[in-house]
Amino acid sequence: METHQNDKFMGASRYVLDDELAGIVNVSMALEMPLLLKGEPGTGKTMLAHAVAENLNMPLIVLNVKSSMKLIDALYQYDTLTRLNDSRFGDSKRDVSNIEDYIKMGKIGQAFTSKARTVLLIDEIDKADTDFQDDMLDVLDQMEFDIIEIDRTVKAVCRPVIVITSNAKKDLSDPFLGRCNFHHIAFPDPEMMRKIVQVHFPDMDTHLMENAVAAFYKLRKIDGIEKKPATRELINWIRALKTDPDFNPDSLLKEDVPFLGVLFKKSQDYTIALDVINRRSPF
Amino acid sequence: MFIDFFYQLKNAGVPVSPTSFLTLQKAMDMGLINSIDTFYTAARAILIKSERYFDRYDQVFAHRFQDAQMPDNEGLVLDEITRALLEGWLEDPVSLAAAFEMDVSDIIDLTPEALMEYFKKRLEDQKGRHEGGRTWIGTGGTSPVGHSGYQPEGMRVGGVSRNKSAVKVAMERRYKDYSRRGLLTQDMMGEALKRLRNMVPVGPKDEVNVDETIYQTMKNGGEIEIVFSRRLKDRIKVILAVDNGGWSMDPYIPVVQTLFDYARDQFKDLKTYFFHNTVYDFLWEDPVRINRPFKVEDFISFDPKTRLIIVGDGSMAPYELMAADGSIHVEERSGKPSIEQLKFLSQTFPHCVWLNPVSAQLWGRTTTITAIQQIFPMFELTLDGLEGAVNYLMAK
Repeated sequence: METHQNDKFMGASRYVLDDELAGIVNVSMALEMPLLLKGEPGTGKTMLAHAVAENLNMPLIVLNVKSSMKLIDALYQYDTLTRLNDSRFGDSKRDVSNIEDYIKMGKIGQAFTSKARTVLLIDEIDKADTDFQDDMLDVLDQMEFDIIEIDRTVKAVCRPVIVITSNAKKDLSDPFLGRCNFHHIAFPDPEMMRKIVQVHFPDMDTHLMENAVAAFYKLRKIDGIEKKPATRELINWIRALKTDPDFNPDSLLKEDVPFLGVLFKKSQDYTIALDVINRRSPF
Repeated sequence: MFIDFFYQLKNAGVPVSPTSFLTLQKAMDMGLINSIDTFYTAARAILIKSERYFDRYDQVFAHRFQDAQMPDNEGLVLDEITRALLEGWLEDPVSLAAAFEMDVSDIIDLTPEALMEYFKKRLEDQKGRHEGGRTWIGTGGTSPVGHSGYQPEGMRVGGVSRNKSAVKVAMERRYKDYSRRGLLTQDMMGEALKRLRNMVPVGPKDEVNVDETIYQTMKNGGEIEIVFSRRLKDRIKVILAVDNGGWSMDPYIPVVQTLFDYARDQFKDLKTYFFHNTVYDFLWEDPVRINRPFKVEDFISFDPKTRLIIVGDGSMAPYELMAADGSIHVEERSGKPSIEQLKFLSQTFPHCVWLNPVSAQLWGRTTTITAIQQIFPMFELTLDGLEGAVNYLMAK
């Protein structure tokens, strides 16, 4: 297995990184341990993996975990249906007697068989049940898995850089946590947020930015909101504001908040927010 | 190296494993850690596996590397004293203010929480001075609460201003709000909801899973292999009874209500009732407890599998619980003491819990809480407590 000790992660063009997090990413890469990221939606957990891949110039492989997913789906797939079809009609180039022709690599399998070192992002692992997590650990720990159907062991060519994200504040199982490094990304404060916005809209008017960010943090403070607007919503919202030619940044500081639906996506939240804005005129 | 730090963490109740400690050593051997700042972040990433313990970690770190004081149980005793002071204040503000040598007008506008902080601060002052052999009352100048250094401004979102030393960052205790010991707040709503999500019963494995059956049959080379999956059971019904009388409960009512409102669609039926201190003849469907009384006896007609969750501090004068005419409301004197009504409820709904915002360590000191504990399994109104309560409610 090759390792690239000298590769250091410094941040990427579309991602604003704080030193603390950069340090943790580097330690995890050096120790060859998966990095588990937790935090509110919109704090850039997924973006981090993209940034690592971009910065280290490695291909990124994303495994989007789904609730019904079993570990085997992430490793490989034995396409029995195609094989049955081929055996009946036999009009393909595949060799029906060779099972290997019907094995397709899953995302983890792809990361293992890739000749170049990859960044493997396992996104939202908490969606799957604990069995999935525990089973996956062994695979990531050993850096190999068996394909039972053809009795072959797939070993990782290069150990991928593994980033795992979890939305839930529910704890993952202890053995799982034991094998990961852990970081919790807090929601960015206004100063950081301005930097993030700057990265996305380099030529943005400061006046608009100040007002938009200020309004955004005020809206986040409204009580009883189930899904608070996050970074993604703010970026989309600013994009929307910029497309509106009649829009005047000063109106944000008054009661007028256009495109509220971009920020609040649950109808209940939307109603609450609209209510608060109209009634109390907090700005 | 730093073995004492490891044990300090362990003693502070942070689950740290020897394996992770060895990993930290490995990281140090590899030269990855070259300053106290990198040690702070790296050790946290490696040793601490949940943001709930970040606050404890910060405390231990500050303690180990800068002799900061561990708050520990001293804080608890102070809480007790300040609570007593607060009660005294509510009864007789003038003489208490005189004892502190301060103007009533200075503190009259403070909220109870701010007031408690103020008292706590004064008590801590006293600890420092007492060793010098001086009495504390009368020595302190007045300092408005805002200066006490505690600002309940909600969660600090850190991770940016990196020009501070790690110790300073640790002492800021940025992760205080994530700590799992704290009482439930709006910020923890999402986390608390996850706890409630377990309130979904599952049935036996008796439904044929057609897709999986086909797949397994294929794998089996055509031999039929039937796969069963779990049947979804009817969702459960929940009765939520909230004590909304008195200011001690005020901060928790909206939290609890929002919590269950959000969880509403995972229950078949959710009914909310209100009471004051304890349950007598009626529970009320309206929060003001006037218009829509509901006779406690009538609960007998409910499905006994309904989960009953009572939220209250359970603190009251003993006679309110025990005496046949204990209710402070005249119309409620049916002759049954409240404790009988509570027993009736717990017998009607075997799946019941009592959630209490009062810290569990203090339960033993209140007679009425102890009495209620014998009727209802009691859990703290914290994330841990909620988890325990849900587990209890869903147990067979």
